[in-house]
Amino acid sequence: MAALPKRIIKETERLISDPVPGITAYPDEANLRAFTVTMNGPDSSPYEKGIFDLELYLPDDYPMCPPKVRFLTKIYHPNIDKLGRICLDVLKDNWSPALQIRTILLSIQALLASPNPDDPLANDVADDWKKDEPKAIEVAKEWTAKYAKAKE
Amino acid sequence: MKVEIVDWQAVASWHWDLKDDSITDELCGICRVAFDGTCPNCKYPGNECPLILGAGCQHNFHLHCILQWLEQDTSKGLCPMCRQVFEFRKDFNTVTKDINSLLMLIDGHKSMRDREVDEEFDSFDDDLRMND
Repeated sequence: MAALPKRIIKETERLISDPVPGITAYPDEANLRAFTVTMNGPDSSPYEKGIFDLELYLPDDYPMCPPKVRFLTKIYHPNIDKLGRICLDVLKDNWSPALQIRTILLSIQALLASPNPDDPLANDVADDWKKDEPKAIEVAKEWTAKYAKAKE
Repeated sequence: MKVEIVDWQAVASWHWDLKDDSITDELCGICRVAFDGTCPNCKYPGNECPLILGAGCQHNFHLHCILQWLEQDTSKGLCPMCRQVFEFRKDFNTVTKDINSLLMLIDGHKSMRDREVDEEFDSFDDDLRMND
């Protein structure tokens, strides 16, 4: 395997020494381009008090291409589908190499705080969201309590 | 006393000669290595991979870093830092093969943008005609 670029080493060191509040990200020992991520649901959102697991992978052409990020924990959110894929502009067309792992994770946390049912990935969830928002928020809270629990 | 030199090692340090040292103190916005260091693809610093100074904006990069970014269609020819159309100070670099590639990429993105604007106008024209 090719040597790890200095930029990835620097980013990893900073993620560990100066972590983003409410987010942890550790590289896998076997593959330093693969990260195990946990994210706290933002306060006063339906995901509050939930702890979500994600996986993040830096492709070979990172930072020319965005990291691949996916939720592993089940989550009820109009922009996140059943497979945990995330619909977020900076993970696709609006990626820039000036962004980095920590800013991407912050953007995902911000997406949890402000779901956008007008640009849906999970169509059924987005429909529910638009039809009856208070009810959808209740379901999101139930799923958070059921699936996004802290590990013992 | 007689001294015999058995072995010696030369050590040199390297620095870009710019009028403005505040630029060379910065990091490349793409690879995050200091400009006096090399881009991740180079072993030695020098004119093969010079600094590229932003002209529209004030953002600077290693030549190979900005080249690799503008090779991506998704870059849309924009500066990674501020998303303005990326232009660079041509007076500053001697023209090499890679500088030429950079010029061609910037040109390519420009004609792409122009074409998109033309298409938008065309469809706008069509809409007007339909309304007539």
